[in-house]
Amino acid sequence: MMKLMTSTLLAAALVGMTASLAGADDGMVTLTLEISGVAPSDGYVMIGVFDSEAGWNDGAAVAGTRASVDGDQLTVAFTDLPAGTYGVKMYHDVDADGEMDTNLMGIPSEPFAFSNNAHGRFGPPEWNAAAFEVSADSSVHSVSFE
Amino acid sequence: MVTTSRREALKLLAAAGSVATMPVTAAARQMDPVFADYQAASRTDPWTLVVRDAPAEGFDSQATLISGTAPDGLTGTLFRNGPGRFSRQDWRYRHWFDGDGFLQSWNLGPDGVRHRGRFIETDKWQAEEAAGRFIVPALASVPPQPGGLSGPDDMNVANTSVLLLGDELLALWEGGSAWAVDPDTLESQGARRWGNGLDGVPFSAHPKREPDGGNVWNFGQDAIRDRMIIWKIASDGTLLQAGVVEDVPGGMVHDFVITEHSLVFLVGSYRFQDMRLPFLDSFAFDAEAPMIAIAIDKNDWTRRRTWELPPGFLFHFGGAWEEADGTIRLDAALSQDARFAMAGAYDIMRGQAETQTDSQARHMQVTLAPGGRSRIESLGDGYIEFPQVDPRLTGLRRRETWHIAWDADQPRGATRIERRNLHTGDRDVFDHGEAVFVEEPLFIPASPVAPEGQGWILHTALNTRVEQTELHAFNAQHLSDGPVASWRLPYACPFGFHGCWRSG
Repeated sequence: MMKLMTSTLLAAALVGMTASLAGADDGMVTLTLEISGVAPSDGYVMIGVFDSEAGWNDGAAVAGTRASVDGDQLTVAFTDLPAGTYGVKMYHDVDADGEMDTNLMGIPSEPFAFSNNAHGRFGPPEWNAAAFEVSADSSVHSVSFE
Repeated sequence: MVTTSRREALKLLAAAGSVATMPVTAAARQMDPVFADYQAASRTDPWTLVVRDAPAEGFDSQATLISGTAPDGLTGTLFRNGPGRFSRQDWRYRHWFDGDGFLQSWNLGPDGVRHRGRFIETDKWQAEEAAGRFIVPALASVPPQPGGLSGPDDMNVANTSVLLLGDELLALWEGGSAWAVDPDTLESQGARRWGNGLDGVPFSAHPKREPDGGNVWNFGQDAIRDRMIIWKIASDGTLLQAGVVEDVPGGMVHDFVITEHSLVFLVGSYRFQDMRLPFLDSFAFDAEAPMIAIAIDKNDWTRRRTWELPPGFLFHFGGAWEEADGTIRLDAALSQDARFAMAGAYDIMRGQAETQTDSQARHMQVTLAPGGRSRIESLGDGYIEFPQVDPRLTGLRRRETWHIAWDADQPRGATRIERRNLHTGDRDVFDHGEAVFVEEPLFIPASPVAPEGQGWILHTALNTRVEQTELHAFNAQHLSDGPVASWRLPYACPFGFHGCWRSG
């Protein structure tokens, strides 16, 4: 039984790898985000993926997800993205109300982070600071809330 | 529109050859030029002690009575706050207002005067103390290899003033949260949290307390978006109301005054232009922009009266009151430009004081009459700062203002303490002489029921002859008689900005 399951998982992994390789052939890749420094350990991490400076500035994401928080790190994958340049914005929706909470002055009061661990100064960082390349050879990106 | 940015002002005003923003030469690249200038100046000039780094472990010692007798009834604690850390790793802040908050307490008790000093352990302080270098872009300086900012509290230095609110002691800045501190140990307790979407919202450094246990009013400025936050807090620290007032021009508002019915702001001509780092570079002096007076109804923050005044700038008010017909009378230390913020406070960090970059704040009475009519009258010659009033008359008609004073040929600052009668113009003066530079004079009533102005003036000072900090107590009605008691520490402390008094 155990052997069968292992084989099945192995097969699935191989199939996945094949799919990934096949994807690489037509330029499609999977972006894997390794997110750390998540605290407190409840709520959701809300993630937006952007593929251009215009989209970054306008808030027009090409992919996005809401990932449940369980611990101080999590891994999220976005499949079928064309290889290219991306930027990621994320915030930790601690109270799970679907909104990024701000104080009376509009300053975020929930944690947020950007790809390249780029920091903004009184606002999100520039696209150039957050942009990174995603290719079949390089598709894992780490972001920390710390 | 004629505007002068800080950099342009430096070009115009600073002495040639020593400007921090000039292209870096090969030699200067090896050492921070501001750090080098200060080091050089501090070797020969004890006045530079006003901006020397306080020791990381702080101070704790007994002050020595050097003259007079401690007045009966003057028992309590003087708390004072100001910037105390200016350099790390041989790199020095460019502007006096950048330094990390260093809180001092002077406890006047039966066993004499005990002095303590301790850094306020803001998030910034803790991160930089651990790293051993400055990381965060400060108000007017960006350190080498700066980190990012996710909000104003990341750069909060809590370095400007102190407020007693119920049992709490709050160290105040003006761009973000107040910082809670234990009043007895001076141990930091973290940013003051208000909840209700108010965490991290600017809480300025000059709150005003209504007399007789009334409410505490404060504001916070959002200069980028021409908005003001208003805070109304009960004397026990309970938040009563906070909200946004729109359409208040972003003019670096540092202080305000209250009357019985109004909250009064003077928005100077030193205005937010566009977002830059360091943040202070976002402001420029617009010599054609009128100063705007805005009186907001305490009971309905949507109701306001406004006046246009000649271009100018100020840091501090004395006080204000309102006549039966709605006329507001206030006194303030007004200047025709923002030279000190734009240039003088940079010079100080290099250990230099230039007459041409000194503040030229003069004591002025401003009358804001119905129908937009206004009048500005001089209350005296010479330069003044840190105007103070009898706190029992905050917002009410009163006679007197105490302040520090100096003349045009004293760019290093004030040596005199003065009392001015607003109605008669009479002046009561004590000059400590050329070696003693004075700080904010706080008025302490002789008792809760003593007549107006009966009490003590308490102020700290740097004695450059002995290179030690002193505390002086005066009879507030007889300054010219000299201090009734003076104490001295075995060391010099960096200058502070503002303080408060806790009796008992």
